[in-house]
Amino acid sequence: MEAPELLPGTLDMLVLKTLTRGPNHGYGIAQHIRRVSREALRIGEGSLYPALQRLLLKEWVSAQWDMTETNRKARFYRITAVGRRQLASEVKSFNFMVAAIGHVMESS
Amino acid sequence: MKLWNRVRRWRGRRAAESELAEEIRLHRQMLEEKFIAEGMSRDEARTVAAREFGNTTAFVEESREQWNLQWLAGAVKDLRFAWRLARRQPLLSAAAILTIAFGVGANTAIVSVLETVLLNPVGLRDANRLVVARVRIDKIQFRHVQASAVEFREIQGMTDAFSAVAAEEGHYWTAQVGGEPVRLIGRSVSPDYFRVFGVNPELGRFFTPEDRESVVLSHSYWVAQFGGDHSVIGRALILDGRAYRIVGVAPADFRFPPAARIWTSLYLDPGRFRRGYNMNLWVFARLRNGVSVARAADRVNRYIGGLDMKAEGYEGFGYGVEVDPISDFVVGDLRRPLWILWAAALVVLLTGCANVAGLLLTRAAGRRREMAIRISIGASRLRIVRQLLVESLLLGALGGLAGLLLADVGVKLITRLPLESQWLNLVKLDARILAYGFVLALVSGLFFGLAPALQLLRESQASALVRSRPRWFQDVFVAAEVAGAFALVATTALLLRSLWAVESVRPGFDASNLTTAFVLKPNNDPGFPDRLRAALEASPAVESAALAKPTPFAGAELTSTFNIRYREHRAGDPEWHGEAYMVTPEYLHTMRIPLLHGRNLADSDTANAPLVCLIDAKLAQTFFPNEDPIGKEIEMYRDWARIVGVVGTVRGSTLEEGSRPIVYYSLAQTPFFPDIGIVVRSRVPAGPVIREAVRHANASVAVYDMASMEERIAESLGLRRVLAWLLAIFGGISLLLAVVGIYAVVAHIVGERTTEIGIRMALGAKPRQILASFAGQGLRAGAVGLACGYLAAAWAQRWIASMLYQIRPFDAATFVSAGVGVLMLLLAAVWWPARRASRIDPQQALHYE
Repeated sequence: MEAPELLPGTLDMLVLKTLTRGPNHGYGIAQHIRRVSREALRIGEGSLYPALQRLLLKEWVSAQWDMTETNRKARFYRITAVGRRQLASEVKSFNFMVAAIGHVMESS
Repeated sequence: MKLWNRVRRWRGRRAAESELAEEIRLHRQMLEEKFIAEGMSRDEARTVAAREFGNTTAFVEESREQWNLQWLAGAVKDLRFAWRLARRQPLLSAAAILTIAFGVGANTAIVSVLETVLLNPVGLRDANRLVVARVRIDKIQFRHVQASAVEFREIQGMTDAFSAVAAEEGHYWTAQVGGEPVRLIGRSVSPDYFRVFGVNPELGRFFTPEDRESVVLSHSYWVAQFGGDHSVIGRALILDGRAYRIVGVAPADFRFPPAARIWTSLYLDPGRFRRGYNMNLWVFARLRNGVSVARAADRVNRYIGGLDMKAEGYEGFGYGVEVDPISDFVVGDLRRPLWILWAAALVVLLTGCANVAGLLLTRAAGRRREMAIRISIGASRLRIVRQLLVESLLLGALGGLAGLLLADVGVKLITRLPLESQWLNLVKLDARILAYGFVLALVSGLFFGLAPALQLLRESQASALVRSRPRWFQDVFVAAEVAGAFALVATTALLLRSLWAVESVRPGFDASNLTTAFVLKPNNDPGFPDRLRAALEASPAVESAALAKPTPFAGAELTSTFNIRYREHRAGDPEWHGEAYMVTPEYLHTMRIPLLHGRNLADSDTANAPLVCLIDAKLAQTFFPNEDPIGKEIEMYRDWARIVGVVGTVRGSTLEEGSRPIVYYSLAQTPFFPDIGIVVRSRVPAGPVIREAVRHANASVAVYDMASMEERIAESLGLRRVLAWLLAIFGGISLLLAVVGIYAVVAHIVGERTTEIGIRMALGAKPRQILASFAGQGLRAGAVGLACGYLAAAWAQRWIASMLYQIRPFDAATFVSAGVGVLMLLLAAVWWPARRASRIDPQQALHYE
């Protein structure tokens, strides 16, 4: 099966969720989402970076240049307090929606 | 989204972009390394990573949009594009910018005048509460004249309508400044004067009823003469040889009237309180709160109506007192001309906008391809409309800036216009006016940008119907331009013909090579006039010289009623009212006024000799039609005077009016007035000669208000000339714009329909039919325009009726020739492109696409 299209608006949530595990750089975030979703979700870099910029502007994440474990200089993103609150509310409404969709699909 | 973050990001966008690039480079590197670790070759890994990554530029762009102020960036981009486009078509851009510049410039300059004199009269505070009370006496054509002390006192008593009332009369002073005599224009004002205008002193105080020989300085005089010295209060100013105590200084923004440099306290002699006697007072009043101008006027009318006119000696005179807003006093007869000019400037601007819209439409047609491509690769329609509007706004803004420069020049010219009205000197461009001009330019930009934008929207919505859509825009365009041009041209033609008619009026004397100036007679020097005469005659540069009070066209006629001995005034007689001149015997010769009958005044007509006078032909014909006036006696100034001669008729105040009967007295027998006019005929400029002669006669006397007679006459025509020529310029420009615009539009239609014409001709249409169809369409629209223009001109007649001279408002010849002229030009503008259409080669036309 082809990797499904991401539901709109969920990318921000996935990124924020990833960052709750600790600061990470763009590559790390992409790899993590891919790995955790067992290769099902492939975050196109083409949408990852615009999303990160968006999150920065909303002040849901902050960014800082730092050294990676392989000693490269990379930009590490960190979730902010506002970001955590936002994540909580997004998870809530996401769950609500998934449940609702589930109900619809299981009826008939 | 937090705007501030965006702005910060936008400002640091260079850094942000390189950060992003670095991030992406790293990301790719890590991907490659991962692939290599999974067993790919280096090259393979690079290709796969690149593929996985996709189009870098696209998402860098997308990321960038996150931190850009998107709309701003878009607008800036549009602006850059518009700028490049404007530069790529310099001719079109220059035409658009110049057109707008002229329209905006003319409008702004005229609005600055309107603002100064109409809306906010010379900076007076709450001008809408201020009124002027003026006398009218219909029987002798007196309207809006000064009041006597009686009316002043009466209005002062109406405390239910007015909270403060003041009177003012003009006063010329001779001040001694550094030993030199200097003439100072002042006003004598009653104590409440400054209270009426609601001003507070900059320094010291204003007048109290107890003040005698006190003076308040204008701010400009205080600065110029005393360097703004605060210790000036209490010091003396020598006026006419007497010491006046300086009690205060007026604030800088109080300049009413503009010519006044000092104000002195007004003393009204009890003998002045006679109705119609010594009518020298301008009466100003402040309305009580809640009282309208109309109610105040009504209050005054009721009072005057209740007077016993017979007892007052004014029965059947049409005597009254009129109360008007103070702006009437300030603008006077400028009001209507100003509104006309403003309307004309708007017509020019609108014609200009229509033209530019036409130009842009033509350009938009040439850009259909560009637009189609942009839409097909995903540009939204809104985005393209926005871009078109940005383009036209850019042109509008550039035109606006150029227009404001023009307005600046225009205002400088206006303040130098040779008009009697002093107020125009105060006109200046302030921030509000500049803002008005610029907004006007931007609105114009939007206005003419809408046409191509609307067309684009419509085309994109109904592209299949494009060919059959009605060409209403072109027709409306042609009609509107013709209407505007015709209305302006017809109005201008009426005014120009009036101007020429007035200019060809001869005043009855030879105005060339005449110089005039004035002096104030010194106190305690009765021999001064004779010494001055002798000094002038002794000068070799002087052909002939005379003294006179008043001089023609100096704006200070002496008018009075007169009596004729042994004759009763009967009902139906012409009014016994005329002008008087007090002159030396050389006056007739100097002015070249012919002596028709009898003898001239002579040096032997001294103060002690029997009182004699000359009358002019008009008086002789009107009052002595079938008899010899010589030897008859007439009483006007002083006493019964024997008529000794009859002279030619002279127009002394305006060229337009028929002259009034004139009586000439010998100056030696009527030395009543403090000022004397000097009239010198000379081939060389007489200024230095006059100054030298006056200094020779009495070194303490100042010469003022020197001007050639031709300048004075021109000044009396000033308003008429300025209005006619400005309108002529506006009319000419709008006509030119209309011709160019119509030509361009028709040419554009022809170009657009080349294929269609080709097909028609291939199907057998004759060139003549094609020509007729195009020319006919243009002419039909033009005819509608002429009709609209006629209506507009007819409406404008009301406003210019008072400016017309020897021509009727709906002068058929003028209207017909203006209409024919405009039609000819329209025909020419339509003809050339239509002929080109008729010469289209069907073969070529059909191969063209």
